[in-house]
Amino acid sequence: MAIEIRNVEKTFGAFTALGGVSLDVRSGELLALLGPSGSGKTTLLRIIAGLDHADAGEVSFDGQDTRDRAARDRKVGFVFQHYALFRHMTVFDNVAFGLRVKKKAERPAEMDIRRRVDQLLTMVQLSHLATRYPSQLSGGQRQRVALARALAIEPKVLLLDEPFGALDAKVRKDLRKWLRHLHDDMHITSIFVTHDQEEALELADRVVVMNHGQIIQVGTPAEVYDHPADSFVFDFLGGVNRLNGVIEAGVARLDGKAVRVDGAVGADGPAVIYVRPHQVELGVAPAEGVPEGKWSARVSSLHAAGPVARLELDLAGRALEAQLSRDRLSDLALEVGSWCTVDFRHARVFPAKS
Amino acid sequence: MTAAASTTATKPARRGWAFLAPTILPGFGTAFGFTLAYLCLIVLIPLGHMALRAADVGWDRFWAITLAPRVLHAFFVSFGCALAAALINAVFGLVVAWVLVRYRFPGRRLIDAMVDLPFALPTSVAGIALTAIYAPNGWIGALAKAAGFKIAFTPLGIVIALVFVGMPFIVRTVEPVLQDLDAEVEEAAASLGATRWQTFTKVLLPTILPALITGVALAFARGVGEYGSVIFIAGNIPAVSEIVPLLIVARLEQYDYAGATVIATAMMGVSFLMLLGINFLQRWTRSRHAR
Amino acid sequence: MPAEPHSRRPAVGEGPMMRLALIGLAILFLAAFLALPLVAVFSQALAKGVGAFLKGLADPDALSAVRLTLTVAAIAVPLNLVFGVAASWAIAKFNFRGKSLLLALIDLPFSVSPVISGLVYVLLFGLHGSFGPWLRDHGVQIIFAVPGVVMATVFVTFPFVARELIPLMQEQGVEDEEAAIVLGASGWQTFRLVTLPNIRWGLLYGVLLCNARAMGEFGAVSVVSGHIRGKTNTMPLHVEILYNEYNFVAAFAVASLLALLALVTLAAKAALEWRFADQIAAAKR
Repeated sequence: MAIEIRNVEKTFGAFTALGGVSLDVRSGELLALLGPSGSGKTTLLRIIAGLDHADAGEVSFDGQDTRDRAARDRKVGFVFQHYALFRHMTVFDNVAFGLRVKKKAERPAEMDIRRRVDQLLTMVQLSHLATRYPSQLSGGQRQRVALARALAIEPKVLLLDEPFGALDAKVRKDLRKWLRHLHDDMHITSIFVTHDQEEALELADRVVVMNHGQIIQVGTPAEVYDHPADSFVFDFLGGVNRLNGVIEAGVARLDGKAVRVDGAVGADGPAVIYVRPHQVELGVAPAEGVPEGKWSARVSSLHAAGPVARLELDLAGRALEAQLSRDRLSDLALEVGSWCTVDFRHARVFPAKS
Repeated sequence: MTAAASTTATKPARRGWAFLAPTILPGFGTAFGFTLAYLCLIVLIPLGHMALRAADVGWDRFWAITLAPRVLHAFFVSFGCALAAALINAVFGLVVAWVLVRYRFPGRRLIDAMVDLPFALPTSVAGIALTAIYAPNGWIGALAKAAGFKIAFTPLGIVIALVFVGMPFIVRTVEPVLQDLDAEVEEAAASLGATRWQTFTKVLLPTILPALITGVALAFARGVGEYGSVIFIAGNIPAVSEIVPLLIVARLEQYDYAGATVIATAMMGVSFLMLLGINFLQRWTRSRHAR
Repeated sequence: MPAEPHSRRPAVGEGPMMRLALIGLAILFLAAFLALPLVAVFSQALAKGVGAFLKGLADPDALSAVRLTLTVAAIAVPLNLVFGVAASWAIAKFNFRGKSLLLALIDLPFSVSPVISGLVYVLLFGLHGSFGPWLRDHGVQIIFAVPGVVMATVFVTFPFVARELIPLMQEQGVEDEEAAIVLGASGWQTFRLVTLPNIRWGLLYGVLLCNARAMGEFGAVSVVSGHIRGKTNTMPLHVEILYNEYNFVAAFAVASLLALLALVTLAAKAALEWRFADQIAAAKR
């Protein structure tokens, strides 16, 4: 099912949670709403589910306005951040709940309910825990019960609020992969909210980056990562070096030397140059002077555990972070205190905020 | 204050049985000793002494006194009315707690404070006030009379008094549970297609139930033994509206110590058994609800 | 957020009609059972005018009942306060065998009928009680005298302070006290400087409830007092005597004093809750 969101606004008292948001969700895609807390992403999710009402604007499912459809009539599967499992019901009864509360005429026979719940529990790999209570499960297991429960009503849309937020790192990664496979099998239009850029980039078909109640950028993970719309997106999508420079006559300069940048340069004036650590190119320092178009820096600290080495450099008084492979590091034979040349493979420049 | 405890506290922690877990805090000996002595003096010895006096009476006489029709009927009235009142309170107390926790309306804080009135108002004052209202010439009693029935001086009057006395128990035990309910759980039920009523009966009520049972048990226990607020409104007609505590007082006034002791002991025994039963019910509902 | 958790959740509230109906039902119920009795007390007390009301209060027997009630509370409340603090210190700050049994025994007076609370002392110290003859020979009277009234009151108000303090002190744990001891404070200093400031509101709360019950107790006191006018009659007992003599105005006049006491208690309780709102919220967490 496709979802169209048009100019949705929502305020809580003086706080603007959503300031006129429009978005098209394609049928069958897995979409991530990514943003810091307070960016309005959860509010948008709750409005789609009918758990909150928009002050203005409309949300339609396959072209039908949802304004007058209560949450319970929307056939939306919602997975809550803290799972919201019914504590007094077994895993089985939790999953069966949505089927058992259907109107008599629509309610499947108890035998069909059993079969359907068993199927779902098999799918989420929890058949052996059907008679347990939620309190007896681990966080990851609870999460999967919540998912099975939401899927039981055969929703046309699946909404997940910070689905991995309450889990520890290892479980989180496993569950992420598993959810991706599940989505590939079922192709339910799915939207999940997250503040973790890694999660959004790894899992989603498309990522919607939000900030201050606005949508900043929509695109595939590669698009938003490689071509961030603005400095906020650049910043938010992972580690970044921010170097104060200037724009002079359409050229970005750092310490007087020109920096090759992707995209528009902007008007003259003070500017911030954005470089991701893995786009910092290091070289062996020559015996004398600095090569043309490069900078010189000193290694101030070095972390070389795992396949990737992280270096902190001192570039004329600025801290600069660089990432390179262990092999490259041993080729360069860098140590704390040694000098090297610095260049940037890809950089972006945005005007400095006044 | 510290002498007794420091000896216990500084001993190396033994494996196996130890009365007091290791601690560096002082004062346990004094505090515990005083507590136990005071408890024994004020509560345990007097109550135990009563049980001994009841045992002195002898088995046959014990049952003869307890099973006399007038006594049996008083038991029936006391326990029946207390149960009825507790159940009425279960419904209305839940409504009051719900309204106080969930809704904001003018006067809410005043009502919240007033709920404790039965705790604070002396029972004899409550008794004469309720009688004044529900007697046939009282404000509500007159309405009932016009409708053709009597409230005061019948078991119905006893129930009214016990509803008054027990109400805060229910409200105050249910309130914190209602406050702690996770709103997400209700939203989950709604998003799964449950109606408001289904959400209440299938999701909320089972969560509230253990607290509700506790409240009912407290109100019931209080109601069974209640004296002051009941005797004025009950009319105390033997075999109709006579409660057990009144029977005990009556025996005492006739210097029938044995009779009073036996009835009192029997009443405590029955209360104890019922509370035990409620405790089991409680455990059962809680076990189905394993946090 | 916890202040109004449901106002922002439009999907799960009741409709406005249902809301109104429930609020109406609650108010109606409370009006019939709480407000009406209170109104009745004062309106009956003033039914024959202010003069009759004051005459009922100025009666020497009524004044002596007021005096006795105050005396009894002045003895029973401090006793149970000391007990409550000692019991909660032992129970909340230490782990020992049989703790839950001790807790249950402290609660026992709550589940004993007030009448039985009086009876147990009559059986011990009454004329036909186990120690009755010995006491009579030594010229000591407990039952049908002030000591009996005090004992019965202590019994029924026994758990109040302990009941408020124990959960509060358990909630607060022992870390603060342990820190104080490690820093070199004595036991008494630890209690006075660390524990007491944290339990102040619970203490006041418990004393308030204990006092209300001590002044208002009827059943237990009625059994042991002997209803001797001007001597062993407390205010609640005096209300009963006047009522049974059909002296309604005087009965309700004395009752109105007790009702006033109840209202003051409730107001003080509300004020305490307002004053210590942050501590109460912290303790609930």
